[in-house]
Amino acid sequence: MSRHLPSICAGLVLLLMWQLAHLSFGLSGLPGPMAAFAALPELISDADALYDIGQSLQRMAAGYLLAAAFGISFGLLMGTSPLAERLLNPLIMMIYPIPKAALMPILMIWLGIGDMSKILVIFLGSSLPIIYHSWQGGRSVSQIVVWSAAAMGMNRAQRLFRIVLPAALPEIFIGLRTGLILALITMVVSEIVARSNGIGNLLFNSMDMALYDRMFAAIIIIAAMGYALDLIFEAIRRRFLRWSDQQDQIQVAVG
Amino acid sequence: MIAIEHLSKRFKTAAGKDHLALSDINLELQSGEFVSIIGPSGCGKSTLLYMIGGFVPASDGKILIDGRPVTGPGPDRGPVFQEFALFAWKTVLQNIAYGLRLQGKSKPEAEERARVLLRMVGLERFANFYPKELSGGMKQRVAIARTLAYNPEILLMDEPFGALDAHTRTHLQRDLLRIWEEHRKTVLFVTHSVEEAVYLSDRVIVMAAGPGRIARIIPIELERPRQRSELMFDRRYQEYITEIEGMIDAFEAAAA
Amino acid sequence: MSRDSKLLGLLPIAGLILLWGWLAASGMAPKALLPSPVAVAQRLVELLGQGDFWAHIATTLFRLVTGFLIALVAGTALAILSASSEVTQTAVNAFVRILAPLPKIALYPAMILILGFGHSSKIALVAIEAAFPIYLATYQGMRNVDQKLIWAARSAGASRLHCLLFVMLPAAAPSILTGARVALVISCIVVFLSEMMSSTEGLGYVLIDAARNFRTIDMFVPIILISALGLGLGAGLSALRKRLLTGYPQA
Repeated sequence: MSRHLPSICAGLVLLLMWQLAHLSFGLSGLPGPMAAFAALPELISDADALYDIGQSLQRMAAGYLLAAAFGISFGLLMGTSPLAERLLNPLIMMIYPIPKAALMPILMIWLGIGDMSKILVIFLGSSLPIIYHSWQGGRSVSQIVVWSAAAMGMNRAQRLFRIVLPAALPEIFIGLRTGLILALITMVVSEIVARSNGIGNLLFNSMDMALYDRMFAAIIIIAAMGYALDLIFEAIRRRFLRWSDQQDQIQVAVG
Repeated sequence: MIAIEHLSKRFKTAAGKDHLALSDINLELQSGEFVSIIGPSGCGKSTLLYMIGGFVPASDGKILIDGRPVTGPGPDRGPVFQEFALFAWKTVLQNIAYGLRLQGKSKPEAEERARVLLRMVGLERFANFYPKELSGGMKQRVAIARTLAYNPEILLMDEPFGALDAHTRTHLQRDLLRIWEEHRKTVLFVTHSVEEAVYLSDRVIVMAAGPGRIARIIPIELERPRQRSELMFDRRYQEYITEIEGMIDAFEAAAA
Repeated sequence: MSRDSKLLGLLPIAGLILLWGWLAASGMAPKALLPSPVAVAQRLVELLGQGDFWAHIATTLFRLVTGFLIALVAGTALAILSASSEVTQTAVNAFVRILAPLPKIALYPAMILILGFGHSSKIALVAIEAAFPIYLATYQGMRNVDQKLIWAARSAGASRLHCLLFVMLPAAAPSILTGARVALVISCIVVFLSEMMSSTEGLGYVLIDAARNFRTIDMFVPIILISALGLGLGAGLSALRKRLLTGYPQA
């Protein structure tokens, strides 16, 4: 409890600042926190909206899990094979600055506005940090440990799964966390761009219709999703990394 | 003069327990004296040095420098660390001139004095090099020159030659003695090497662990200036080394 | 990196473009859906000949760089504040912990309503997104400065403030620049997305405009350009890094 006290205080201060900004600006576009929270129940009790959000989260889970499976294996391959590393490094560097949600319009033309294009864009959006960090994690595994494993008679596949993967896990988890946050963001943005159902669409529709209380309620929901995913992720990470001396680091929502 | 009275240091361990690192240290150092501290790992010899430096606060007791209590770091006590601790972004000359610039000396004035010191440690050709371009021994020479530059009365040396190879180490010991003979600063020298301690010092302080305390103080009555090559054949030199090594072994056996 | 391995790295990129060209030429995908790489390159050259198009590039670049620089100054300043005492460290980190997991892009509509549809809302979003990695990298870098470096400076007569600004900050320079690199990629992504969501100019707008009018070929051009912009700025930062970190080990 005492560990979280400063953060709770900071949260309250932020809410207070929001309220003060609302009072001093007097903009219709900036309702106070009370009005925003008051608009929450209506939004949450709307069965259609809830169904849409559920659908979005399912697509996000699918895209993210695909990205995790692909990103970890691809990254570890780059981390353990110098040839793969030299081949793929420039390609990765070239693709990294491209906003993957920007591909949404093109994917929509190719694949339609169905699940496929949305899952694919989330997959693309979250796989790069996972590849990058798995690569770095695989690289940093001590060559001596790998050699001792080889001396003990482990073959290449055994070494990869029983030595390299566990040793690279702390770094892989950093990538997985960044990827998770990116998956959420890509989901929101692609919904805004596609103007299909989902929380992103709700957010921008509310803005366009000048339903500002509702818009801020949508922001609160997205923020809550961010925190919830973060908490779940942290619990899983702790379970896997009990042996690691790594402390919980502050992670940033990227994109 | 350094006077240490009933000094002790307690740390909180990770489990939240009190750990007594140093217990009731009493010690006096005369001006111009060269004193080494030796002892097993965990006896708190470096901690003692850091407390005199004013980097780590004392839990009990006091440290007086010329009668004034230590409250923090100051240019009267110059540290030299095993890790060199040079400013990577400054050249050799800028590193040495650093303290002088802080004291308000003009740039040309500071650099002129820095060049004198650079010559003293035999690195005049390397003035414009960056620390990463130097070997370990050269880095430590720069660190010593940087500390000597602001002319502290006391040198606090924390295993300064511990990270160097045997050959470089011998050279630096010889040069340190030469510089010390010239300037006669008070030196407190923490080391792991009994031989080094005996070779350099007027007195060797042997510490024991659990809790860290002074076990014995041994005056080294060998004439100066000392020549290492001659000392090697000196019975008294050999006996000092055997005696102190025996002591440390005994303390370690008792602690285990 | 040797020249050979650089050439090796170009292979997959060349392969990808060839595959794209083959797909477009084979007729499996209609031209309207997948223009050929040659057609895209021609269109790119054509657009680069037009003043309007350069205005879009300039707008994006301006928003990106301004937001990034604000983030650099704010992130570093916060890290210095945080490193200056226990109290400020607890306070700053409390806010960072609350704000870091929040998808800041959700705040974008609010920024539009407060700051307007022009440059400021985009710059604000870029700055907020990019400030966090810079803050965290600088903060970690300053915390990890060798204690003995600080002691050596304090003994030489440096004040706490002097240590903070002229010992800890330069010692953390490699971390700051690593953070800046991450922040730069984020800035590229964010500026483009913000322009896609709401803007009447900039590369992101060019893409959305092309999408609305089903001009597939014009959708490829801004994506290629933002990638080039990211690579170019990244290379600039690397060159700067090399210059700034002359003395540092493994610069």
